[in-house]
Amino acid sequence: MAAPPRHSSMMSTSNAGTLQSSTTDRQQAPQQLPTPQPTQGLRVPSNRKTIYDRHLNRSRNAESSRASFAYLFGEMVTYAQRRVTGIQDLEKRLNEQGYPLGLRLLDLLFYRSTSTSSSALSSSSTSSSPPNRPLRIITLLHLIHGPLWRLLFQRSADALEHSVSPDTPNEYMITDNDPLVNTYISVPREMNMLNCAAFVAGIIEGVCDGCGFEAKVSAHNQPTEMWPSRTVFLVRFGDSVMEREKVLERNGVK
Amino acid sequence: MSTTKASRIGEEIWKTRIDKVNAELVTLTYGTIVAQLCQDYDSDYQQVNQQLDKMGYNIGMRLIEDFLAKSGVGRCANFRDTADMIAKVGFKIFLNVAPTVTNWASDNNQFSLIFDENPLADFVELPDDGRAQDELWFSNILCGVLRGALEMVQMQIEAHFVSDVLRGDDTTEMRVSLVRYIEDEMPPEEE
Amino acid sequence: MSYYFTILSPTDTPIFNIAFGTSKGGGDGIARFRFPDTAQYMNQFIIHSSLDIVEEAQWTNGGMYLKHIDTYPPAAAYISAFLTPSGARFLLLHQPPQLPSGSSSGLGSSSLLGSSASTTRASSSSVAANPTSPQTEEAVRQFMNEVYESYVKTSMSPFYKQGMEIKSPVFRTKVTGAGKKWL
Repeated sequence: MAAPPRHSSMMSTSNAGTLQSSTTDRQQAPQQLPTPQPTQGLRVPSNRKTIYDRHLNRSRNAESSRASFAYLFGEMVTYAQRRVTGIQDLEKRLNEQGYPLGLRLLDLLFYRSTSTSSSALSSSSTSSSPPNRPLRIITLLHLIHGPLWRLLFQRSADALEHSVSPDTPNEYMITDNDPLVNTYISVPREMNMLNCAAFVAGIIEGVCDGCGFEAKVSAHNQPTEMWPSRTVFLVRFGDSVMEREKVLERNGVK
Repeated sequence: MSTTKASRIGEEIWKTRIDKVNAELVTLTYGTIVAQLCQDYDSDYQQVNQQLDKMGYNIGMRLIEDFLAKSGVGRCANFRDTADMIAKVGFKIFLNVAPTVTNWASDNNQFSLIFDENPLADFVELPDDGRAQDELWFSNILCGVLRGALEMVQMQIEAHFVSDVLRGDDTTEMRVSLVRYIEDEMPPEEE
Repeated sequence: MSYYFTILSPTDTPIFNIAFGTSKGGGDGIARFRFPDTAQYMNQFIIHSSLDIVEEAQWTNGGMYLKHIDTYPPAAAYISAFLTPSGARFLLLHQPPQLPSGSSSGLGSSSLLGSSASTTRASSSSVAANPTSPQTEEAVRQFMNEVYESYVKTSMSPFYKQGMEIKSPVFRTKVTGAGKKWL
């Protein structure tokens, strides 16, 4: 039996471009990469429905059980624990797993606020103009403290503070008095210093990086009598971010 | 107990006794788990399926207690009742969906769950690597959950997916078979 | 009008490319770049050389759609940009068709290429004719928004990692559709 021509699927798309690699020096002529392998793509059900046919707001207000989240998250931690050597390692891994979620949630948040009249990004629903990408640190942090937290946990975070120490002007703190990720998760005894909120720290880091604010984010247990699992997320912005912040301040960019 | 009665119980518990979270948080967390497994096992999807089933088993063993406490239901009279209880109460109160119970085998020991909605798989497109659609059962954790939970109430079952819309099938269907009632043994110790 | 659309990852890796022509005003949707032999290479070159301007505009304008940001006169190429909040850049190069040589007015031109000087189908060809007109800006904005929606759907899948090439034929179809609809 004769095989179909290998490039048959490309024939109809003569306008399809080829991908090329980027060069570090942008003034240099970009290199050609070989034409990408034509793909038939994935099989789809007979109704032809794919992820592209599902409205992004479909599950916007859908609910699930807190127990399901706790079970899944607990398994995620237990599984990760078996593949690492210590708490630091484990927190790093949880952070890394949260990071890509931050990038996704960022795009989802902005999509939702452009596609609906009541913006997911502004606390007042009066403004209907498309939202702006955060250019300044404070705008970014408000985005995390409010809209991001509401998307994930259905409420805002409890506090947002700037470091008072003159040595660390690049440090900001976001506080959650009762993080969902710590509430129902039973941490193994030998791991009692572990803060599962490292996962959320990773999400925050993804949001910061995505917006062009290089940062390191870590989660710290800061219990009070009233809030035994109170967690502070320490956001430390990189030097380049602080430099840019000064320039933008001078230029009056908000 | 009838299917409608089970549905009513499920709805009632969901409305009154369940702490809720944003469904997308559950979806995204599960997606993260599966993607991580695929990475760790270097896209050996058989292994990923197994690992998901194992995770589900661990969850199921703990979840059953929660289920019994919240639902307050007693022992099921037969496997048909068990099926309704799983679909209309169990799935409802944990995932807020109620799959259809169908395709009973003539001996009443085997049925299918058809998922019109599967919150675990929202937003998901399997890797286009020529294998994932043939080998990966994305929601396989659910099979393990049923196996673990039912074992704790003296039912040994076998569960596996036979189709999945993520693979290009028209339905998402899980097949559940009763292997035996574990009557003559002590239940495994808790925790 | 001929278009070359590309999506660059935050680290400048092209993750999606497509060339197409205008569909408005009776256009056939096929790209006819002025120098067909080198168009592919030139388009990528022009887009890459506009990145510095994109990065500058990125920190003065908080919008996602930055409108027309750069022009490359030697090829009569115009660049419009759209930035996703997570750092991907959508760049659209548009190049009006070359006036037929010897034709000074272009009036009454029946060219299917959508001659830029044609005034006989003014309303429909306004998008195609002037790369910096408000109508064009609006059409490009709509195009970008529609692609953004598909892009978010791509990126929401747990198996998609930032910077991965977007190979889905469905995605390509969606972009082509958006091009037909708005450009």
